[in-house]
Amino acid sequence: MSAQYNSTQTKYLSEFYHLPEFKGLEGYKKHGGYADLAKALKMQPQAIIDEVKASGLRGRGGAGFSTGMKWGFLPKNNEPRYLLCNADEGEPGTFKDRMMMEKAPHQLIEGMIISAFAINSKKSYIYVRGEYDDSINALEAAIQEAYKAGYLGKNILGSGFDHDMDVYRGAGAYICGEETGMISSLEGLKGQPKLKPPFPAVQGYLKKPTIVNNVETLAVVKYVIRDGAAHYRTFGTEKSAGTKLFSLSGNITKPGNYEVPLAFPLKDMIYGLGGGFKPGRKLKAVIPGGSSAPVLTAEEAERATLDYENLAQMGTMLGSGAIIVIDDAQCMVQCLANLTHFYHHESCGQCTPCREGTGWLDKIVHSILAGKGRMQDIELLIKVADNMKGKTICALSDAAALPVLSFVTKFRDEFEYFVREGKSKVKGTAFKGASHVEMHH
Amino acid sequence: MLKCTINGVELEVKPGTTIIQAMNENAQKIAHYCWHPGLSIAGVCRLCMVEVEGNPRVQIACNTMITEGMKVNNTSEKVKDAVKWGLDFHLINHPLDCPICDQAGECGLQDQYMEYGKYNPEMAEAKQKKHKVVDLGPTVVLDSERCILCSRCVRFTDEVSKTNELGIFNRGDHAEIGTHDGKQLDNKYSLNTVDICPVGALTSKDFRFKQRVWYLKDSETICNGCSTGCNVKVYFNKEGLFRVKPKHNEAVNGYWMCDEGRDTYKFVNKEHRMLKGYKYAAGSWHNETHAGVAAKDAAEFLKAVKSEDIYLVLTGQHTVEEYEAMLETFVNTYKTKNVFHWWPQEAQASEFDGLLIRGDKNPNTAGLKQALAKFGINTKWSDLEQSLKSGKVKELVVIGPENFAVYKDLDQKIELFANAEHLVYATSVKVPALENCKTLKMATVIPLKSYIEKDGTFVNHAGLAQKFKKATTVVSEALTGTELAQLLSGKALQINPVSEKALFTAVSNTRPDQVTLDHRKKNEFVFNRGRL
Repeated sequence: MSAQYNSTQTKYLSEFYHLPEFKGLEGYKKHGGYADLAKALKMQPQAIIDEVKASGLRGRGGAGFSTGMKWGFLPKNNEPRYLLCNADEGEPGTFKDRMMMEKAPHQLIEGMIISAFAINSKKSYIYVRGEYDDSINALEAAIQEAYKAGYLGKNILGSGFDHDMDVYRGAGAYICGEETGMISSLEGLKGQPKLKPPFPAVQGYLKKPTIVNNVETLAVVKYVIRDGAAHYRTFGTEKSAGTKLFSLSGNITKPGNYEVPLAFPLKDMIYGLGGGFKPGRKLKAVIPGGSSAPVLTAEEAERATLDYENLAQMGTMLGSGAIIVIDDAQCMVQCLANLTHFYHHESCGQCTPCREGTGWLDKIVHSILAGKGRMQDIELLIKVADNMKGKTICALSDAAALPVLSFVTKFRDEFEYFVREGKSKVKGTAFKGASHVEMHH
Repeated sequence: MLKCTINGVELEVKPGTTIIQAMNENAQKIAHYCWHPGLSIAGVCRLCMVEVEGNPRVQIACNTMITEGMKVNNTSEKVKDAVKWGLDFHLINHPLDCPICDQAGECGLQDQYMEYGKYNPEMAEAKQKKHKVVDLGPTVVLDSERCILCSRCVRFTDEVSKTNELGIFNRGDHAEIGTHDGKQLDNKYSLNTVDICPVGALTSKDFRFKQRVWYLKDSETICNGCSTGCNVKVYFNKEGLFRVKPKHNEAVNGYWMCDEGRDTYKFVNKEHRMLKGYKYAAGSWHNETHAGVAAKDAAEFLKAVKSEDIYLVLTGQHTVEEYEAMLETFVNTYKTKNVFHWWPQEAQASEFDGLLIRGDKNPNTAGLKQALAKFGINTKWSDLEQSLKSGKVKELVVIGPENFAVYKDLDQKIELFANAEHLVYATSVKVPALENCKTLKMATVIPLKSYIEKDGTFVNHAGLAQKFKKATTVVSEALTGTELAQLLSGKALQINPVSEKALFTAVSNTRPDQVTLDHRKKNEFVFNRGRL
């Protein structure tokens, strides 16, 4: 079966991830580590920004915004500015940053120093998800090594450029992965997103211009400098350049992180790299870009390619590259309950539509699961979700609404069956999580 | 200046103005809970939705700056639908306990529901349970279930009082307002949080359960608690005054007032008031007399003594008009310049807490000083003390303070005044020290009107003269300082002719809880407390 599917990775970033020595400074240097930092420090900062712009690199954290353009929003003056690395990785289904930090902490650090030099930032923080002990330890050790070797601190490699870097440990809130929520948290405030405008590039951490980039994005910068923008563009498409790490999970034989060029067919990811399904099971649905991405039906998934434009065309998104595969033994109502519970739990509570809406959605879905659903609840789910979309400070409200809208519209028969019969349309699924809603008390 | 069009009205605004500011300043209606002109922008209630031409999505007016040529509306169906849903999200977990909620009648949720709501609720799930009757501190009680988490109170304690007692704890729909560990909401401005709370979450311990707000009328006046002269609204009905709230005046108090100033209504109510005139002679108090009669009697005493034996004491608690009338009587009619300024807070007068509270607890010290200067009076308090102690004072007229709570030396001064052969003490409040004074020789007590019951002018610490109008009458028989001055000078009082309406409503066969035509017209009902 696998013969008809492409099961080859393109290991560009992850070329040496299989080598344990790549984690330490010596091993990292053996495989070209910090050579590109030396190269970059001899370039004009603007030339680095231009190169990143030309590479077509888009933010790998989820939004897919052009990295070079984001850097370009910084004010053109000498005001102190900060570089923040978003390593909060809270999107359900995503676990690529964790691997990068554990296997190649220096790769991220080198990418960050180059980026900091490009935007003239003297201080950076890596905001790491609190549960990621191993990542934090690896980064702490690597930063120490880098300081000793003169890659961090004063006058880096004799260039006159100073830079300090610190790791900040998050406390386990999904919302702190949102860039302004992260800034609030880093400032010692409650992790709540800030109103925009002003955008972080103008007024971010400590009210100073701030750039927030994802782990993968910053690591890529090293390779754009090493090989040039033109080479980076040989991967992927015009609008989705480069390779990307995808986290494959769900009902799949071989879950894991896979690096492939963008525009890689989703079916090759599932059946080739992922090794397909358990015997007797088949594809029902795919969440292609982390839990907030609208779900694809099996038929849509067969046609989809993993790039920004194709997935946008199909009404969903590439997001953080977390592919959650759902097979035909799963009940979609229960799958959705899992998601609504998550967003209900993680809403920061600042904006009313999200604070109240996430709970409302969760309660309705759980009412259906408890056999107390009303037929009008299905329409109500759509109405509530529709009115949560685009109405709040950050995108969490949208992230909570989009799965609901896609699950209910694409798998409406399962929801109607559950309301009518009081049980799942999929045999053998008994939901045990109905008490989730009351869990907070 | 930038030109823009809001709901078809062309406006010119300063650069940096937000849409909601422009609408607020130009009396255009826009639903909002978290935005407050005196606080930073939170942008969390998501109710102030507007449609800006060229943007397909509705957006919030509080965080959108006006740009040149911007066309804005908040009347389209799209906006109305967005506000309706925004309101619904606020209401799904709200307890809807309006019948027992103090905010009912002046509640943001009720107001917007009448404007945008009026739908059948679709929420069929159980509501979130939160804490009820949370004691936040000495002045304020919180009901978390009513709270819509607009964060106004938190921003107030962070930005205005800078006391940082409040915070929002927990996340999502189980978030609640609370005080930080080991702290209470206990600052000199705490009750402003109740004013700015758009719902019934924060209620004042002093006011809660006392009155339904639709049984109250309001009137604007000047706070007489200190020399800042905050612009306030007093709320009252036939039973008396119930609360004081600040009224916006950027030049004086902004949007706020202190808690101390809110207590000033108490000494205006009947339980503290001097209701009748009294006389003391030959070692005992005589039957009460009418205020006017008492004043006329006092005038007879004044006429009977020499000018240099007449003394007058004034405090900074009355109006400029009253000072001038009194001085006219004493300086011009009785030819005495023995006029003294009783000012116990003189040493603390320059104290200021940086926000509103000043050390001089008199609203009109500056006005009194101006009036004294105008009549060429320049006396020392010690001279009065000396004269009193040496028994030189035959006739002493004291216009006593209204806010007795800030005259800590009241009892001691009464003892001093008792040295006069005949003391005329005019006061709006009861003075137990006078009643119990053992050394009193002869005295006449005359009831005065309080600041709520007269027109006048207060000059504040900065020299700003603020005129105010009479709000209501609590003690109808009491005299204003001006009337008293007239009577003391021996003239007859000018009585305003009673209108037909007043005669009609004053018919004597009405029961106290009876609704009269007059009441009905003002949508105000009179009822006996406890009967409803």
